[in-house]
Amino acid sequence: MPVRTETKSGVTVCRMDGEIDINSSPDIKKVFDKLITQKTPKIVIILSNVTYVDSSGLATLVEVLKNMRSYGGRLRLVNPSSKIRSLFEITKLEKLFDIMSNEEEAVSTFS
Amino acid sequence: MDKEVVIKADGLTKKFGDRMILNGVSLEIYKGETFVIMGGSGCGKSTFLRHLTGALKPDSGKVYLLGKDLTALNEDEMDKLKKRIGMCFQSAALFDSMTVGENVSLPLKEHTKLEKSVIDIVVKMKLELVGLRGFEDLMPSQLSGGMRKRVGLARAIVMDPEIVFYDEPTAGLDPIVAGVIDKLILDLSKKLSITSVVVTHDMKSVFSIGDRIGMLYEGRALQVGTPDEMRNSSNQMVQQFISGSPDGPIRFFQQKDDYLEHLIR
Repeated sequence: MPVRTETKSGVTVCRMDGEIDINSSPDIKKVFDKLITQKTPKIVIILSNVTYVDSSGLATLVEVLKNMRSYGGRLRLVNPSSKIRSLFEITKLEKLFDIMSNEEEAVSTFS
Repeated sequence: MDKEVVIKADGLTKKFGDRMILNGVSLEIYKGETFVIMGGSGCGKSTFLRHLTGALKPDSGKVYLLGKDLTALNEDEMDKLKKRIGMCFQSAALFDSMTVGENVSLPLKEHTKLEKSVIDIVVKMKLELVGLRGFEDLMPSQLSGGMRKRVGLARAIVMDPEIVFYDEPTAGLDPIVAGVIDKLILDLSKKLSITSVVVTHDMKSVFSIGDRIGMLYEGRALQVGTPDEMRNSSNQMVQQFISGSPDGPIRFFQQKDDYLEHLIR
């Protein structure tokens, strides 16, 4: 699954489609590893078109968050489906992540 | 709405030597349910379970798992399908030389290209689900029987399986720990939308976790039904098994021939 990135008002916006699972997670992690190496300060991941996230996908997002925090970077997740959001709740990760429902708001309020 | 069948056994037969273990077992298991296979020791329930997971091939009959005919799959196709199921063994089957974390992470290390840092997070998430987070660095020998079973359960779900098979998950555990394991099986099934197939002869487990129950007797599916249907069954063998009575139609001795003739033969 490719990750498309763009910069909006100083925020790196990442878009993904389809499934974040055991097969796609290693490639997705590589994209974020690169952003983390560059110490990208603000990343917003748009999950609107993500249909499925498995445990390895959740763990990859946790790893991204952990690595960003090590240099003071900040991460926001935007618009996961209700099914994916409930997965965050079951695994208690909703308290770890800053999850927002609106992309524009997530970018514009990222001060 | 029709229920989606995820496992179908169709006329399974299996002989070990000249002893018929499965004698035409047919039943269906639906997506998302907890299906309990009960029956006395030696009735063929563990053998049946091993057919459902593809560990054994039937002499005749078919097994359909997640839409695939197991009897027709080649090794590669079977390996692919096995990644979609989890197996929780009676003995927990942990590797004693590995830590808890290493045991749980083993399927991910074997079957995926995930980095160790990501695998470590998945292991923590799974151990949290079974109430054992923080035990990653302990050795299996440092755990109680119930804890070992929970580690086995964490390993069974580490690849996010669609179906988990449990072979006697509460055998050898005290009633309280057995209750904890039952609750865990139920919680995981409902939270993670997993189909669970549980082989047990622990009557408390049967009725506390089963959405439906199938009773095997003499290599056949004697009756399949909801817990209420089984409790109210008019079948005397089902009733004898549920009540645990030594007297009834179920024979507990399985000698193949006459004792005296056997002695002087």
